[in-house]
Amino acid sequence: MIVKTLELTRVYRLGASHIVAVNKVNLEIEEATFVSIVGPSGSGKTTLLHLIGLNDYPTSGKVFFKGMDTSLLKEKERRKIRLQNMGFIFQTFNLLPTLTALENVELPMALANVPQKTQRERTVQLLKAVELGNRLQHRPRELSMGEMQRVAIARAMANNPSVIFADEPTGELDSKTGFEIIKMLANLCRERKTTVIVATHDERIAEMSDLTYRICDGSIVS
Amino acid sequence: MRLTVMCLRNLFRRRLRTLLSIIGISLATMTLVAVSATTTRYLAVIKEMNLFFSDDIVVVARGVLVVQAFPIGGAILESTVDKVKTVERVKTAIPLLFILDFGVEGTLHPVPLRVTIGMPGNWSVLVGSTPLLPQGEGKWPSTDIVSREVVVGYSIAKEHSLSAGSQLIVKNYVLNVTGVLDSRSALLSRAIIMPLQLAQNVYGYNMMVNMIVVKPQEGVTGEELAGRIETEITSVKALTSEERNEIIAPLLQDIENWILAITGTLFFVTATIVTTVSMMNISERRRDFATLDALGAPKSFIIRMVVTETGLIGLLGSVIGIIMGTIGAVFIVSYYSSISVSLVFPDLLTIVPPFFIVEIIALSVLVSCAAGLIPSMLATRAKIVSILRAEY
Repeated sequence: MIVKTLELTRVYRLGASHIVAVNKVNLEIEEATFVSIVGPSGSGKTTLLHLIGLNDYPTSGKVFFKGMDTSLLKEKERRKIRLQNMGFIFQTFNLLPTLTALENVELPMALANVPQKTQRERTVQLLKAVELGNRLQHRPRELSMGEMQRVAIARAMANNPSVIFADEPTGELDSKTGFEIIKMLANLCRERKTTVIVATHDERIAEMSDLTYRICDGSIVS
Repeated sequence: MRLTVMCLRNLFRRRLRTLLSIIGISLATMTLVAVSATTTRYLAVIKEMNLFFSDDIVVVARGVLVVQAFPIGGAILESTVDKVKTVERVKTAIPLLFILDFGVEGTLHPVPLRVTIGMPGNWSVLVGSTPLLPQGEGKWPSTDIVSREVVVGYSIAKEHSLSAGSQLIVKNYVLNVTGVLDSRSALLSRAIIMPLQLAQNVYGYNMMVNMIVVKPQEGVTGEELAGRIETEITSVKALTSEERNEIIAPLLQDIENWILAITGTLFFVTATIVTTVSMMNISERRRDFATLDALGAPKSFIIRMVVTETGLIGLLGSVIGIIMGTIGAVFIVSYYSSISVSLVFPDLLTIVPPFFIVEIIALSVLVSCAAGLIPSMLATRAKIVSILRAEY
């Protein structure tokens, strides 16, 4: 079991009102599986993803990562887990605009103090794997949307994470490119035995997943 | 990739803002360098003046302002010298006429163009063992005033292309230069030294002097002898080296306080510029910082990144400011000392010493880094969850 949640709840306070974004969610995700969390906009899937990705703190309930109770971790330890064991892919790619594709992928490795030579070798290998071997020195603004998302995938895989979280990875892409990206993610997941958890409203992704959770109004419905 | 390169690219991405902030810091540094360098030189000149007659008593007319060892104006009868000599325990009493020339015919300079010193021989009392140029040929003026001989300071000689054998016109008097003082002292390099009587004739101080340098005999303190002179000759005041320092101390302290206040203000301006620009940058790059946060970047990395960026702004601004300020200081020194820029330029490192340059750069970088600390703390608080939610 790589990720497990127990009665996971996240409540946002907006003025006097309380919004329950995630309501008592219980998940169990095995290693090397392709999991999708499917739900309409505003259903709480992104919030859930950030909670299990240790980017946010639950109001109540617990997240276990590789059997470890993450509520007991300090901020510094959570960052270390994110850096070494997790990868993130965002809908809007979130590549650093001043860095080239190569440097964007190298960044997580540099932060994890991977030797420079290894960084470079692994980066080139990853960018070739996402079919961007000829775009190493291009900045994000010089890349197409699909290419940017592929760089983001390579970046997410930089430190050989155990799990990759993808938040609406096809949201900004056309249908064909989006499908290619998902196929790529699924393949990488299988080849590298990495768990991929995708938050999406795209039913095609659900069809390709090993496991699908459907979420509505913050609760898992199936 | 190296953090510095990444920071430089981030700054370059917002190049107009970065440029404007660098210009702001440059102007602040330039002002600081120009004001500090010139004022520090001014102070050095004043302090240097007290090296003259440091163990002697200087006797001047009552009510005269004495800047370190030299009186500004005032006159006493030459016969006072004989009276001083009669005071018990006076070893020697040498009269001097000290004229500060602030320019002629309506042009007024903030500092004297030249200093004329008239004395009855005994040159070593003033100049110690300073040699004369050209070596072996330069000689001290004859006390016979008919020959109208003078020696001139190094800077004056350079400025007017004078050497032994040249002629110099002062107040319609044609004077013969017998040597050039080989000294870079601020006072001596702008001095014209001549026999006392000749100076009296040239400047119309008939039978008058404006200071008497008194050497005490052994076994008597300067303070004791000065008191004795003032008691016996009521029209003069006799100042020991300590008393002369005390007179000028408040002025020097005031100048130093002003420099400190200007420095503080300009560094405050630098800090404000850097903080403002950095806050703007961070507010525009919330998504980048949130992404770094999500990737697991340590807080220290984000802090280092922001602080390096502000430090680089400070570094670039201070280096440009120092270059501009040094050029400014050269022109200011040239203006107030009436020495041509080409003559001042070789003394560049005297006007703006290397230690001062290093100090200003280090302080600017330090202030800029410190000014980046608050923005960097804010950058570490950029959370991907709230940023993404705000964007939807």
